[in-house]
Amino acid sequence: MSSHDRNPSSPSSAPRLAVAAYSGAGTRPGDGAVLSGRALLRVICTAGSGALEYTHAFVTAYTADHLRGAVAQRLSVGAYELLSNALNFGSVSSDIVIELIESDNMVGVRVANDAIGARISMLTEHLLKLKTNAEQTFLEELRRSVTGGIPRPMLGLARVSHEVGLTLDLQVHERRVTVTAQCRR
Amino acid sequence: MSQFSGVQVPKAESIAIQVTAPNQVKLSGTITQKDPAQDLAGFFKALHTAALADKLTEVRADVSGLTFVNSSAIRLFVDWATWVKNERGHRYTLRFVTSRNVTWQKTSFMALMSLAKDVLALEHVT
Repeated sequence: MSSHDRNPSSPSSAPRLAVAAYSGAGTRPGDGAVLSGRALLRVICTAGSGALEYTHAFVTAYTADHLRGAVAQRLSVGAYELLSNALNFGSVSSDIVIELIESDNMVGVRVANDAIGARISMLTEHLLKLKTNAEQTFLEELRRSVTGGIPRPMLGLARVSHEVGLTLDLQVHERRVTVTAQCRR
Repeated sequence: MSQFSGVQVPKAESIAIQVTAPNQVKLSGTITQKDPAQDLAGFFKALHTAALADKLTEVRADVSGLTFVNSSAIRLFVDWATWVKNERGHRYTLRFVTSRNVTWQKTSFMALMSLAKDVLALEHVT
């Protein structure tokens, strides 16, 4: 597997990033679910200062270079919000894997991470609401972002589903959670 | 003297901000930091307070050059709209200038309109 560490000039507080052309090696149960196709990009990151910004910038630059503009913009939002969720709610002790996947007709971003049972239940419920009515859920989360409340507003996934119109899929294998956001190429 | 144009512009990574008298603020770039409120919440509040002090009838917030924002940044725009909506005395119209070519802007600002339509206006540019 031709992985390599991120630019060694990065600050020491920066997260560890490994980027590789997909070889199929190193996957864990749950990492390769839902959208089947070729992985254009695979990034493994650990929680830490800048993990979100660095990884998102990299994925955005890649999609902008390889996909048409509107699709690249949509996947950029999807990548950010899925990764943000994984970093905010996932287990800090496990790697987060973010992949850009393409098939003949579809392209998507997939994020896999470990999470606790309560978080998985919350995520499952939220995705069900989004599947039922994405627009209404988006508005609810927007309202809740003003008033606050518990659990904290989950506007990110609502954006992915409603704002940029990506189809969300969730796969759970024990504690490993994989969320895929995809659209037509 | 316009208080609006005198509002101190924060130094924020990856975003360019320009305040122009009498009533325009232009933001361009991207907002990806985890907590953009640290840089921007106070700035938006200062613009709001200055707009009230100047008795402006409209504030133009040109976000058409913001190619990406995270959901935390969207909350800042919701907050701003809410401040205007909750004003009991003088109110102004908060006009967001958005781009048709930037995917995230189309739906977010339409949704925002539905939450505070009496104080918001949308203008689309290409």
